[in-house]
Amino acid sequence: MTVRIAGVAIFVIAALYTWYGQGYTANFGDVLGPSVFPVIVGIPAMILSASLVVFPSGEVHWPDRSHMARQAAALAILVGYALLLLPLGFPLATFLLIAGLGIVLGGAPLKAALLGAVIAPGLWALFDQVLGLPLAFLGRWFS
Amino acid sequence: METFSLLAHGFAVALTPLNIALLLLGCFAGTLIGALPGLGPVNGVAILIPLTFAFGFDATSSLILLSSVYFGCMYGGRISSILLNIPGDEPAVMTTLDGYPMAQQGRAADALAISGVASFVGATVAVIGLTLFAPMLARMAIYFGPADYFALYILAFVTIGGIAGVDPRKTLLSALLGLMIATAGLDPISGIPRYTFNNYHLYDGVDAIVALVGLFAISEILMILEKAVRDRAKPIGIDSWIPDVRTIWRTRWAILRGSVVGFVAGVLPGAGASLGSVMSYSMEKQASDKDGTFGKGDPRGVAAPEAGNNAASGGALIPMLSLGVPGSGTTAVMLAMLISLNVQPGPLLFERQPDLVWGLVASLYLGNVALLILNLPMIGLFSRLMMVPTWALMPIVAAVSFVGVFSISNSTFDLELMIIFGVLGYLLRKLDVSLVPLVLGLLLGGDMERNLRRAMSISDGDWGILIASPISITLYLLTAIFLGLSVWFALRERRRLLARVGGD
Repeated sequence: MTVRIAGVAIFVIAALYTWYGQGYTANFGDVLGPSVFPVIVGIPAMILSASLVVFPSGEVHWPDRSHMARQAAALAILVGYALLLLPLGFPLATFLLIAGLGIVLGGAPLKAALLGAVIAPGLWALFDQVLGLPLAFLGRWFS
Repeated sequence: METFSLLAHGFAVALTPLNIALLLLGCFAGTLIGALPGLGPVNGVAILIPLTFAFGFDATSSLILLSSVYFGCMYGGRISSILLNIPGDEPAVMTTLDGYPMAQQGRAADALAISGVASFVGATVAVIGLTLFAPMLARMAIYFGPADYFALYILAFVTIGGIAGVDPRKTLLSALLGLMIATAGLDPISGIPRYTFNNYHLYDGVDAIVALVGLFAISEILMILEKAVRDRAKPIGIDSWIPDVRTIWRTRWAILRGSVVGFVAGVLPGAGASLGSVMSYSMEKQASDKDGTFGKGDPRGVAAPEAGNNAASGGALIPMLSLGVPGSGTTAVMLAMLISLNVQPGPLLFERQPDLVWGLVASLYLGNVALLILNLPMIGLFSRLMMVPTWALMPIVAAVSFVGVFSISNSTFDLELMIIFGVLGYLLRKLDVSLVPLVLGLLLGGDMERNLRRAMSISDGDWGILIASPISITLYLLTAIFLGLSVWFALRERRRLLARVGGD
């Protein structure tokens, strides 16, 4: 069933892509124009994804609920890191990332926090101080 | 003779103190990454690429570092295959078949030493092949016109992963998804923004490195979270680290055969190391498995695929450097790095940047020797490092990936895009869709379109130009043969599966 749903999803994306691509108008001096390549790519993608809907192959085994919850938590931590990196500054945001992921991956909370507390400032020192890559120590919220 | 003087010049480039230091660091880090279960060369190189930008090295030094990591990973991948029965990546799967049974029988030291020597011979054969054949191919490639390049890209998409046995439709679909993503950004000829949705971050297109790190590193974290995270296999205990030299000597023919087969598989654009190790193993089984000992701990079953996968990894560099078409997943990632550094691989690379090409080739000779010296006595250390628990390892991998990607543009938009690619990579892996064709599509999409449009400009809109030259006709014929073979393999696999289900 999953393969069929994925086939439908890819078909819809490819169809929208092809339809949208036709709107790019060609300018003079360019024989093919900017809209032909998207059509060349989009139409076979539609045919192949439609064939997956009709003749699906392979089975997908999704993880159980507790593992899915872990994956959702990990994604939340990753997205949170992307959003909080500038407001919190590198060491604090990275500490939260490493400790949080460590716990989600099954580490003991204290050990994971300890790992984050050691690695996060270590990475900051390595990249900012040694390699000269600018990484804010204190973020927007603190300065 | 010219080749040798260029190679001598390459050694002069590779032997500068910085490059030697990078070579040794890359070999060590690569073996370590390869030895850690779950991390293979593609992940290793993908995670480290953004860091090379952070270091600010030039293209030659960056390439030396990453190719040492690549070769190191191919050496290291066998350690977890033999001791844990967990292959670090796809090409290492074949090594588990005889390597793990050997370890169970108390012959782990022999298996590790055989695989080390086989890796060395395989990789050396490949580097000699690279020295001799890459310049030749580059000279031939000068005659390629835009229409021929278009045909070559189609061949690369069809061969990549096509023979590996997964559904060829999914492989092609993956390549098409990559091409779709590649069209986002300013159109290469007319400069019209396409699929940017008025987001200025997308005007330059999707950065291949952001996509790669997401697809490989972030999706790996999600895959690991599926399994029982607390479980960790204990490596087999080893009483002695001293291998039996006679056992190694007995595998010499398996090593040589595996090296040659693997090298040929590696040179085919897109086929790569997985095909190299599978072909070497199955050919060796057919050639020498008279007593049915393969799969039960036969040393030749360790030697052949290890020689094969290392020879294929080196062979895969030939189409990448001389044609700009990568021969494997990892070389696709390295191609992304070169393009990001404004180095355009292809026939002219050999003329315009001999320092880069020959410095790399020389560093591969040196790296191989370094890896053999590093690997034989330090196996004990590397196998102990496999005990690093996942909960500690993966968060550090994630943090390093984030720093690397952030360092490219200093924008958190790239981090968000990387996470989106991570989720996409996870979903595609669950659907059994190979990610390498997607990467290839993303990397080559711009050039493919540019060559098509150039060809059409030359012919003034006549599509016949695409099949007008003998080179493009040959390439399309090869494409048809590969496509036919991959469909045939897939159907045969399905018939076998149905027969098994019917038999139960």
